[in-house]
Amino acid sequence: MMDSPKTMEFELISFVVNHGVGTKVLKFAKQHGISGGTICLGRGTVNNPILKLLDLTDTRKEIVMMIGEKDAAQNALVALNEKLALHKPNHGIAFTSSVRGFVGHHHIYRNEEERRGAENPMYNAIYTVVDRGMAEDVMEAATKAGSRGGTIINARGSGIHETHTLFSMAIEPEKEIVMILAETSTTEAIVTAIRQELHIDNPGHGIIFVLDVNQTYGLRQ
Amino acid sequence: MSVLLEKLKEVLWSVIPIVVIVLVLNFTITALEPYLIYRFLLGALLIVIGLAIFLFGVDIGISKVGTLMGGTLAKSNKLWIIIGAGLLLGFFISIAEPDLHILAGQVDMVTSGVISKLSIVVVVSIGIAVMLTSGLVRIVYNIPLYKLLTVLYLLILGLSFFTSSEFLAISFDASGATTGALTVPFMLALALGVSSLKKDGKASEKDSFGLVAVTSTGAILAVMIMSILSKQDKITGSLQEAAATSTSVLAPFLHKLPIVAWEILIALAPIILVFLVFQKISFKISKKAFRKVLKGLLYTFIGLVLFLTGVNAGFMEVGTKIGYSVAALDNKLIVVGIGFLIGLVVVLAEPAVYVLTHQIEDVTSGYVRRPVVLIALSIGVAFAVALSMVRILIPGLQLWHFLLPGYVVSILMMYFVPKLFVGIAFDAGGVASGPMTATFILAFAQGAAEAIEGANVLVDGFGVIAMVAMTPIIALQTLGFIFKIKSVKEGLEEHDG
Repeated sequence: MMDSPKTMEFELISFVVNHGVGTKVLKFAKQHGISGGTICLGRGTVNNPILKLLDLTDTRKEIVMMIGEKDAAQNALVALNEKLALHKPNHGIAFTSSVRGFVGHHHIYRNEEERRGAENPMYNAIYTVVDRGMAEDVMEAATKAGSRGGTIINARGSGIHETHTLFSMAIEPEKEIVMILAETSTTEAIVTAIRQELHIDNPGHGIIFVLDVNQTYGLRQ
Repeated sequence: MSVLLEKLKEVLWSVIPIVVIVLVLNFTITALEPYLIYRFLLGALLIVIGLAIFLFGVDIGISKVGTLMGGTLAKSNKLWIIIGAGLLLGFFISIAEPDLHILAGQVDMVTSGVISKLSIVVVVSIGIAVMLTSGLVRIVYNIPLYKLLTVLYLLILGLSFFTSSEFLAISFDASGATTGALTVPFMLALALGVSSLKKDGKASEKDSFGLVAVTSTGAILAVMIMSILSKQDKITGSLQEAAATSTSVLAPFLHKLPIVAWEILIALAPIILVFLVFQKISFKISKKAFRKVLKGLLYTFIGLVLFLTGVNAGFMEVGTKIGYSVAALDNKLIVVGIGFLIGLVVVLAEPAVYVLTHQIEDVTSGYVRRPVVLIALSIGVAFAVALSMVRILIPGLQLWHFLLPGYVVSILMMYFVPKLFVGIAFDAGGVASGPMTATFILAFAQGAAEAIEGANVLVDGFGVIAMVAMTPIIALQTLGFIFKIKSVKEGLEEHDG
């Protein structure tokens, strides 16, 4: 079992915003007590009959994921909601999810409590964020520990150690996110294996967080 | 409709700087005739609209065909398919490139027909085909880009000792001419398609660039070899400039439109053909996606025709006039300064620059951001134009006095900067020397050469594109160097596990 020196709770905040806004979100969140975040590129579609006719329906989006201690996360979310005017159309969306486990930034945290009313989940989604090029190692470690596969997502992001700017624009180094679905019984082993193989406990070597998953389809036993 | 507005805004911001500079010059030191200003403004409007449509077209048309093609080639897992397809693609794309025909026509004229237009077009296309194939094979076999480029440029250096300075300029210009507004997006996407199948994220990323760079050396090598074999080392003839004396605002646009439209149609034909053939035998994408790509190709066509009509009819003459008036001033240093300013802003409106910067953002997930690349490119091209002006001013200064140290520095830098930036930088060289440079900056340089005693319009005119293709390589590799230093994590030592 992981040692949990702090009894903090963590939340994952996700934003889906227009291209180019992600960096602003991250910068603003950092001013409100969030230590870092990861941004990946996405594509959205527009619902407009004229544009549909012209087949110009792709818009570029950015997905921002940030982990924060529950109170800080709430603060940042409220402030960001105000700042980005999310209530207006086309300004983006945001949502939070509870984090079951979190390793990184000197924190090791694991939420052992059963949540009221929720079923005991069978699966976890393990997210590992590492520097670009390391995802293969994550996969290898996870496979040895019993994972059957995973998905690599290209991303960029910055934590507390990465605060450089160039022409007053923040440099956000390239990252890879590895998403692995695992049975709750093997989660512990996979997380430990990744932690050891990639030295996640050393600062600046990435983070791992674990989310509960209620239902899965298509996973083979 | 926000998508349309956003694109227009983006494009507007890249064309406004050049318009402002020309207008300011008009009201200060180089008064232009009113009809020229109206033409210029109309041209700028066409450029904005054309560029916006073209970029939409590239996004859903050209790039899509390129990535599909690249993916199919890589998945085939057979060397002969990659070689065969590379040779065919390279040859036909190059032979359909309108810029190459213009250049070949000029070479034909200045050599009094010793090197015929047809022979140069065919030889350059073969060079392009061979190098495009080498570039593809390089990605598949994981041969590091910097090694291949070192070999290629050493070869060019070796050949350059046997080539006259005139042909040196022509050969470097040929490489700029073959990397046009259509071919660059296609080759960028092709490389992306091949390399995106790689398992290792880092390798996949850096191999997404460099194909344009390797391919454009094909043109340089081809012209050099040709000039050596034909023992043609002196330029004998002279260029006749078609004197356009019409003062009508609209006439040049109406005159250019059908010519440009026909050229683009020819240039686009190989890509359309490839798409249709491969759709039947290999891509087999859904009806809906198929129609979307076709629409994309149509947008590409419309956009590029509007853009090039605007540039050719609206910008070219203004460029020559400004170059002439500025160079005729007593203080010759002004022409260097104005050249710097024009270089700074013109590259922003280059169509392929958009495609490259967007691809860089996509591939690096936004780590290397558009504005940063644009700043580096602008500074690079600004120096290129300014140095070209210096070369025109000082008769003893030759093109190779810049190119040789420039490329030596570029090659040495490859060994120190992050490998991702090697590919980006060498590709940017081909990207920066697009239609905007080939018309506006070239016209500016020729205008200046005309006004300066002792400068030869022809000899000094050739070689400007070569400079524009070289300086971004140094500028972007410098950027890579800065990124390398700045990306180091603060407050912790490296733990190597």
